[in-house]
Order: sequence, then structure tokens, then C-alpha cells
Amino acid sequence: MPIHTNETQFIHDIRAALGIRANNSDARQKEIFTDPAQPPEAQQMLLDTICARQHSDRMDLLDRLSREAVPLNLKVIPMKNEAEAAKAIAGLVADTTPEWGDKKSVVQWDHPMIKALALDSALKDQNVPVYTAAFDGSETSHNQKNLKRDQIREQVTASYIGVTSADFCLADTATLVMRSRPAEARSVSLLPSIHVAVIRKEQILSDMKELYALLKFDPDTRGKGLPHHMVMISGPSKTADIELVMVHGAHGPRALYLYVITGE
Amino acid sequence: MSDEILTDKYVENSTRAIEDDILQGALGKIQSGLAKATQASYRQLDEGPELRMTAHDIREKTINNLDVVLTQLAAKVRENGGKVYFAKTAEQAVAYTLDVARQFKVKQVVKGKSMVSEEIGLNPALEAQGIEVNETDLGEYIIQVAGEKPSHIIAPAIHKTREQVGRLFAEHLGVPYTDDPPELTRIARKALRDKFLQADMGISGCNLACAETGHMTVVSNEGNIRMSTTLPRVHVAIMGMERVVANLEDHDILFRLLSRGAAAQKLGGCVSYIGGPGGPDFPDGPEAFHLVILDNGRSRILADPKFREILYCIRCSACLNACPVYGKIGGHAYGATYCGPIGAVLTPLMVGMNKAKDLCLGETLCGACRQACSVNIDLPRMLLELRYRLAYGDDDWQTKQVSPLEKTIHQAWAFLAGHPALYRAFLKAGAMGQKVFPKYRGMIRKMPGPVAGWTRDRDIQPLAHTPFRERFKTLSSKKVR
Repeated sequence: MPIHTNETQFIHDIRAALGIRANNSDARQKEIFTDPAQPPEAQQMLLDTICARQHSDRMDLLDRLSREAVPLNLKVIPMKNEAEAAKAIAGLVADTTPEWGDKKSVVQWDHPMIKALALDSALKDQNVPVYTAAFDGSETSHNQKNLKRDQIREQVTASYIGVTSADFCLADTATLVMRSRPAEARSVSLLPSIHVAVIRKEQILSDMKELYALLKFDPDTRGKGLPHHMVMISGPSKTADIELVMVHGAHGPRALYLYVITGE
Repeated sequence: MSDEILTDKYVENSTRAIEDDILQGALGKIQSGLAKATQASYRQLDEGPELRMTAHDIREKTINNLDVVLTQLAAKVRENGGKVYFAKTAEQAVAYTLDVARQFKVKQVVKGKSMVSEEIGLNPALEAQGIEVNETDLGEYIIQVAGEKPSHIIAPAIHKTREQVGRLFAEHLGVPYTDDPPELTRIARKALRDKFLQADMGISGCNLACAETGHMTVVSNEGNIRMSTTLPRVHVAIMGMERVVANLEDHDILFRLLSRGAAAQKLGGCVSYIGGPGGPDFPDGPEAFHLVILDNGRSRILADPKFREILYCIRCSACLNACPVYGKIGGHAYGATYCGPIGAVLTPLMVGMNKAKDLCLGETLCGACRQACSVNIDLPRMLLELRYRLAYGDDDWQTKQVSPLEKTIHQAWAFLAGHPALYRAFLKAGAMGQKVFPKYRGMIRKMPGPVAGWTRDRDIQPLAHTPFRERFKTLSSKKVR
């Protein structure tokens, strides 16, 4: 591998092309990049709005999310609590068939809210195994981790339903936002034919502006940081590449069910 | 560009495209549907369509500080665990990618749609090393199976009918013939799922990188880019050096405009932010992430103040959908990676103005592209500027004057216009002389020699026997009631 990255020469060439002679890059850098410790007025207002949100505001956001989800073929289903959501997911498993092969299995995140669904007992009657795609702490060596990664890949590939939560959900675009964590495998929302997501209504934001304001300027959210990977998902996979005819299920999940726990 | 450049066949290929009924039908659909939907989606923005002007300012500022922005991007991506390489040329970018492939003993590659990889000719280079390359965007997959090139930036197989795709799949994939788009999509889905699971390397482009967070972002509706960047062991992303924003506030504005310009969507279906691999503590995702930042002629464009604006482009392809010329000749006629109005400006700057002169001469200067542009780039101004350089020559761009004769004629015309008596005498002589040309219904049908081109496809109006300035005298002497 070349260790040399060409950076110095490359940036020098850009500077020459821009006609920048004096190296005033520090001053320009200050002007271009905003300071996370000092949110501009517009961003501070967004943070205040999010903070001040009451129950009725959140229900309005849920309504907006449900409306925006319709044209995207994303099914938003409000649920009173985890038990009701688990029952609904068991119903979904009973009503659907696997796309590849004929054995049903479900894969889920190692996530508090998902664990609270107790899907393995909810699916016991149907004899459908539930895998949890995560390291369980027993893997310490590189080799053990690799073996576990292989096992997770196998389980995720075999499962036809993947169950996740999300960090946030944006009402304006019906978008699930997921920051990658070791307990939350990326492929669970990607390889299975059906993606099921469970969130609380408190996780719904208005739009991308609010999300970015939180990610950048909210001390709590910022503390956890923007990791090496984040994904935003707005509905199931779709394509219009043949004669502009809309078809769902090009490569990722063909269907996406979003259960929103309202807690009432 | 290492891909074959066929810009000198522009006229010939355009003529053929206009006679292709299938292509004409497909182009009509794009232009009547998508172009209008995009305009409507701009109007529905919270900030209104004026957000395009704001975006133009943002792009201007970013490009004018590209050194600082790219330095920050590289530093932050490295913090996120990614590796960054700066490629001055297409060859360097290809060589680096091949190095990474060798390091990981790559046998199979899955690719998300990336115009920049077309630009550097990456696929043939990988295949020459015995590496299997699979395009995974449905449209790209179709044209890869067909052995063709994309004809649109975001709908690469728009020139194919469902029947053609059905026959293609039946012939190459050994499946029964069908012309049902959902069924055809399912066939590709099944074939590519195996490829995704087997591939050792994923390659993607980059829609917009964000410097302050150290991520590059890619969008797809199909989910194929998520697959390509999640499942293989190593991910290489290639970005043109201009495809970057400074911070998240700018990213929000540009990403919303990109989605609307590309597909009249509020937001693309799947947006991935990638700054590095997860590493061994993560249950999935690649082990290594490489970001290749490509110049390949862009810094030369940056250095020319008249053309710098073309680097504001975020490749949404809205200008294609609105352009009356693209709407008739389609993407292949442009003979290079980038087509439509953006291609008509960019291609001459990348492959040479003389070589690609017909592209900028072929556009109408109607301004539809500028109105469609998600960042309000003044494309017509740059088309004119290219014509100017071609008319007078430009040593900085190794551009030769296209027609010294034309320049002489214009100089003579300017001289005439400045000498009224001579001008009148010239027109009088012309009115007499034109009698020798064959006429039909009062129009000149045919002229010989160097002016034959004017009458090849149309008849032209002869000079009036009694010029207007003569008639004006009699007109103005009559009383107007």
C-alpha cells in the first residue's frame, strides 16, 4: 500500500488554482466551520423547540409521520406498549412467508426496547427462532470475534424478518435514523426481506434540520457523537429503472413496518 | 478519462438518436414527468425555490475554500478510522484501488452507481486483473449485462424498453422471458443477492461529503449502495474533489435539493454516512474504508474563474430532464461520461474543447438547465464562454481557433456595420446576386460552397428587393389616422 497520500501536493495545487498566495487558512477555517459549543440562533431555536415539546406536539408529529409514510409504502402503526407490539409482530410472522428458502427465522438487535418485546416467547408457539445479532462478551480474541461475525452473517442472511429500533425518526420525510453501535448490527435492517422497527413516540423529530441541530449542538446527543457510520432509511427499497415503473424491493427489505409505542 | 471518448461523433449519433422511436418515447416520459415534478418539489420547499440561490452561495464559498475544506475532511475521516488518498489523475485513482484490491485478495466487487468510476474507467481496469465486477443499481446492471454505457446520470437504462430488458435477461441469465417490471426486478434482486454475499470489495461514489464530521454520504433508493458498503470486507469510495460541504447545516440544504433535483423526492430512500470501518468490535460492516479524492482535471477548471462555477454541480441530473437537446438526442450522443447540459460544459473542459466542441455548440442556450439546476448554476453562460474560446482560441486550454475564416467574416461584417454607405451597397449587391439561387415559394432552397450548410436542412428568407429603410421613408410620409 502506498503510505504517501499525495495530500500536500494536492492541496498545494488547489491553492495555486484558487490563486491563494498567503496561507491564511486558519482564518478561513474559522469562518467556514461553526463552533459546536456556540449554536447559531436558528439552531438554538430548534433545540428549544425540541425541548419544549408536549404530548400533543408529539402526537401531531406522529400524525405527520403517518401521513408522509403512505406514499413511501412505509407502514406506521401506533401501539400502546411493548406487549401489544410483540403481539403485532407475532401476527406479522404468522401472516408472511420467507422470500428465500422455506424456514422462518427472525433476527433482532441487542437493544433494551427490542429485548423488552420478548419476541422469543411471543414466537414460541410458531416455532420460529429469534437470533440476536451481537457479540455477547465471550469473544475476546480476534479469532473468536471473526467466528462470531461469521455466525451473525449467517443468521442475518437466513432470517426473513429483521427487528431493530432507531435513534430518531424524522416525521417530515418518514425517515429512520440509526447510528451504528456494536450491539446494533447494520445488516439486520438490510438483508432480511421485511424490516420491522420499534420506536417510542418521543424519538420522533420534525426533520433533518432538527436532527442535525441535535447531532451537532445538543450536549447529550453530541456526547455520543456521530460514529463512523449512520444510516437514514425512508421506506422500503424501491426502483424505477425499468421504464420509470415504480417497483418495491430492489435490493433491501421489500416491506418496512414501523411500530410506534405511544405509552397510553 | 480512460473511457473511450466519442464526442466527435456527436452529430452522427444525435441523428441516429432522433430516429430511434424507443429512445424518443423514453426521453419524452422523463421530460414530461420528472422535470415538472422537480420544479413542483422546489416550490414545496419550506424556504421556497429561492433555496437554490442560497445553495449556490454555499457552493461558491465551499469551492473558493476547497483547500481548507478538503484538509478538514481528510483529517476527520482519519479520526473516524477511514483511510484517505488524494489522486491527481484517473490513473492514480485506479492504481490505488487496485492496490487495495490486491491487499485484500479481492476476487469479486459489487459496485454502487458511480459516475466518477465511469470517468476513470475503473471497471475495465479491475476486470483486466481478473476481478469480477458487478454493477448493482438495477439500471446499471441492465446496461452492464447488455454491454452498454449509461445514458442518464440517475436512470442509466432509460433507453431500454421492458421487452428489451426481458429478452436480455432471458438470453444472459437463463430465465424465462417476461416483460413485467416487478418480475424483472425480482430476477435481478435474486441474481445480485448472491453477488452481494460473495463480494470481497464494495465500491461506491460519493454524493456529498461533510468535512466537519468526516463522512461521505451516499444515497440510493434501491438499497444497493447500503449492501455494497456494508457486506464486503473492504469499501472504497471515490469522490470528485468538489463533492464536499463544510458542515451539517450546508449538508441539510444541499441534500434536500439533491433529492429533489434527482428524483423530485424530499429525501432519497437510503442515505449512508460513512467515515470509517467499524473495526473488530462491530458485528458487521467492512474491516477497512478508503476514500479516494480525485482531481483528474478539476483543479485546472478551478483555476479558470469563468469556468469555476461548473464545480458547484452536485450531479443531481435535473438539467438533463429539462434540456430540450438532451430530450431529443439522449445521453449516448454526448459520447462521454457526463451528458446533457452539465456534460456539454464539463466534457470539453475535461477532454479538450476542440475535441468536444460540438457538445457546447449543440445546446440551444434556452436557459432551461439553469432553471432546473438544484444549485442554480449559470450553465448557458459557460456554454457561451466555451464558444468564445473556440472562436478565438485559448492557449491556456490548448484550444485552437475553430475557424479563422469565420473570424474574418465577422470582422468584415463589423467593418460594414460601421460604414453605412458600404453596408447599403453590399446589401444591394446581395439582393441582385441572390437571384442565381434556386427558390421555392419565395424562399432560397439551396446555396453553394461554404454557405451550403445554411440551406441543407431549411430554406432561408432572401434579402428584400426594397430594403426596410426605403419602405420606412414612404411609410412615415403617410398620415396615420
